[in-house]
Amino acid sequence: MASTKTRPIEKFAKAASKCSAEAAAYGKCVVADYNAVQKDMCAKEFMKLKDCFLAASKKP
Amino acid sequence: MSLARILRPAVRSPRLYTPRTPTYTASSSCPSRRTYASQTPGNPVMEVFNRKTKHLQKDRAARNIEESRKTDYIKDEVATRLCERLLDIKRTFPQVLDLGANSCNIARALTMPDPDPDAPTGSSPPLSTRISHLTCIDTSEALLHRDADEPFNSQMSLTRQVVPNLESLPFAENSFDAVLSSLSIHWINDLPSLLAQVNSILKPDCPFIAAMFGGDTLFELRTSLQLADLERRGGVSPHVSPLADVKDVGGLLNKAGFKMLTVDVEDIVVEYPDTFALMQDLQAMGENNAILHRELGPLSREVLLANEAIYRQLHMQEGDRGVPATFRLIYMIGWKEGEGQAQPLERGSGQLNLKDLLGGGSF
Repeated sequence: MASTKTRPIEKFAKAASKCSAEAAAYGKCVVADYNAVQKDMCAKEFMKLKDCFLAASKKP
Repeated sequence: MSLARILRPAVRSPRLYTPRTPTYTASSSCPSRRTYASQTPGNPVMEVFNRKTKHLQKDRAARNIEESRKTDYIKDEVATRLCERLLDIKRTFPQVLDLGANSCNIARALTMPDPDPDAPTGSSPPLSTRISHLTCIDTSEALLHRDADEPFNSQMSLTRQVVPNLESLPFAENSFDAVLSSLSIHWINDLPSLLAQVNSILKPDCPFIAAMFGGDTLFELRTSLQLADLERRGGVSPHVSPLADVKDVGGLLNKAGFKMLTVDVEDIVVEYPDTFALMQDLQAMGENNAILHRELGPLSREVLLANEAIYRQLHMQEGDRGVPATFRLIYMIGWKEGEGQAQPLERGSGQLNLKDLLGGGSF
């Protein structure tokens, strides 16, 4: 594997790092009640994070 | 109906009667032994990790030489700390085995100059001068031979041997003067059997010194991945392999016949820029999850994204730039029983009160 080539995970990490505000909101939502986490408990916050991530990963 | 009459048919029934001569001792023998369930020959082996997966992970990791060397920081550090323990044993070791050598990190640590910071003369010779020959065994050929051309190879007598698996050691009894192992035996399925084998290949009154990941290693990643899995997918899958706990290690060594045990624990906390860097490094170390019933394929992107957010929220300290990852190391030393070995004193035979000695007071 050539080290000059960007690995997909690096692109992923770069895009994720641009959404720290949304990530913090989602993280807070999950951690606030981490003993009783259920599926889609923070779906709304996650969708915001995902939208931000998708927008960030489209930018070159 | 008397009790004897109820029991009698069972004794007579040919199906329930074992035709072989019983091998159990007289004290436990009982004429009407029932053998309803039969055990498979030999000890059934508990399988936790997929050995083949681990082998492939190590091989793949080592083939990317540059990344693999870059992520050797923990293995090198632990190997150095492990070898420091040899300073306390004033002996020469003609034959030493490095069990699960990875990239021969122990050999590298042994050849480091001036290992003893408290030497009265100010400098000390490398530990390798006290070792006549080191045998390094591992399952991954690529990883074992990765650094075969490095300068430390010429500084000590060293052979590398690829073994099909680390759980059955291809050595004769009483053949080593010390067995060292650094960050390998946490991937062993049947630790009691391996330790018993190590005990048997050691010469009498010789030490086994090992370090392994244990207990709370990567607890941050384990917990945040669980939460991310729960919230995104509604269930949990094991993404971080289970590890032995400190309190089990003493019992395991004892059971394998080791004497004069020393077990201690140390935490190394490493800061990473983000969880992706942590996972990449684990992969490059060849330390990724190899649990038998793991979910195949990569983590879903949603879980990855959720994990990053939760990890930061749950484990990042205020003011830190990166995320912490804890590696808990269990160091163990056990001695094979031998003649003339120092024995612990009898209980209650102490002449000095430790409280006076250490200046303890009320607690």
